[in-house]
Amino acid sequence: MDELRAAIEAVLFVAEKPVSVGELSRATGARPRDVEVALQALEEARASSGLRLQRDGDAWRLVTAPETARAVTAYLGADRLRISQAALETLSVIAYRQPATRADVEAIRGVNCDQTVETLLARRLIEEVGRAERPGRPILYGTTWEFLECFGLSSIEELPRVLSPEGERLDEAPREFAEPIE
Amino acid sequence: MLESRAPQVTVEGFEGPLDLLLELIEEQRLDVLTVRLGDLADAYLARVRALPELPAEEVAAFLVLASRLVLIKARSILPQPTAAELESADADEGELRQRLLEYQAVRERAAALRARLDEGRRAFHREGGTPVELPPRGGDAGALSAAWQKVLALARTAREQEMVAPGERYSVEERALEIEELLRVRSSVSFSTLLVERPTLRFAIVTFLAILDLFRRGAIDLQQEALFDDITVIRRPVSQPNG
Repeated sequence: MDELRAAIEAVLFVAEKPVSVGELSRATGARPRDVEVALQALEEARASSGLRLQRDGDAWRLVTAPETARAVTAYLGADRLRISQAALETLSVIAYRQPATRADVEAIRGVNCDQTVETLLARRLIEEVGRAERPGRPILYGTTWEFLECFGLSSIEELPRVLSPEGERLDEAPREFAEPIE
Repeated sequence: MLESRAPQVTVEGFEGPLDLLLELIEEQRLDVLTVRLGDLADAYLARVRALPELPAEEVAAFLVLASRLVLIKARSILPQPTAAELESADADEGELRQRLLEYQAVRERAAALRARLDEGRRAFHREGGTPVELPPRGGDAGALSAAWQKVLALARTAREQEMVAPGERYSVEERALEIEELLRVRSSVSFSTLLVERPTLRFAIVTFLAILDLFRRGAIDLQQEALFDDITVIRRPVSQPNG
């Protein structure tokens, strides 16, 4: 198992883009189920290192640990993401409800969101993930790898829970929109 | 389509009608779950009146909410409303309250995301990945060191020559003749052997041009097993009538 874990880690290291479990299985010759077990083990082993695993759906990749951001940012000379309140609200609707349409966002925010959606698309924080099966087949949006990266999340399940009393109450409320989509 | 992409106007820091209403509730330290929304109609209208001039679309959104608040208020102060009216008023207020709660949750989530962003705890992936042009694999460190030795030798000789003789002259023709001469005795010779005599840069260039010329004239064959290997200069068999 250690061998498989090391092989997976090596493949993720050289990969230019996220690697699916199927690709990892083909590369290592191991069964997909074993690959998944090894990925879990790798995730745990990496917890105290400078690199972490990041997952979106079925695909995985290696990224730097959020705790190291200061050093990496200094080295890369990267800029911190600047984002308006309107864009951030739109982003949070899409992130927690994804997939979501523009109409979903507008229904909640009560204002037109065309421009903020464009901004988020241009910054690659969201992307089209399909079309809703309803009249007009509106575009569905979801978050991207860049989104996970920008917020230092290892997967969408790691989105911060809102901790204020009102927020907690809402998160517990049995309403579909209050729960992140799995 | 173009118009809908016009920059969104933020009204005195409000992100829209719901935001403005929520702000009013929070300012008065009221609870979204229990506040009588009709009571807020006057305060909300006062704020809307104070808004600077806005595109009609924007104003409309604020006014729609204002009219709902006024309606809710009006119903609540109607004398002895019927049961049906009461129910409809409750439903209307309930729906608006629900939207406010939804929006409140979004605002708090946005704040949580903002906090994460401000902490700067982000991740990075490896940029670039594999270069488009891969250098040849399986490099031989021994060959590298041998090449370095040659370069050093060349540099040393060149310097010595500079001190001793002021410039040599070779012509490509002369050198080609010399090589042809040599190939009459031997069937082949390596390029490095041809350079042993005088390992200077100029001599190497002239020798190289000479073998290229010989090859062009069909006097010799050239062979190189791999990239950067020594070149073997081979005498061509004396040309046959049909060869």
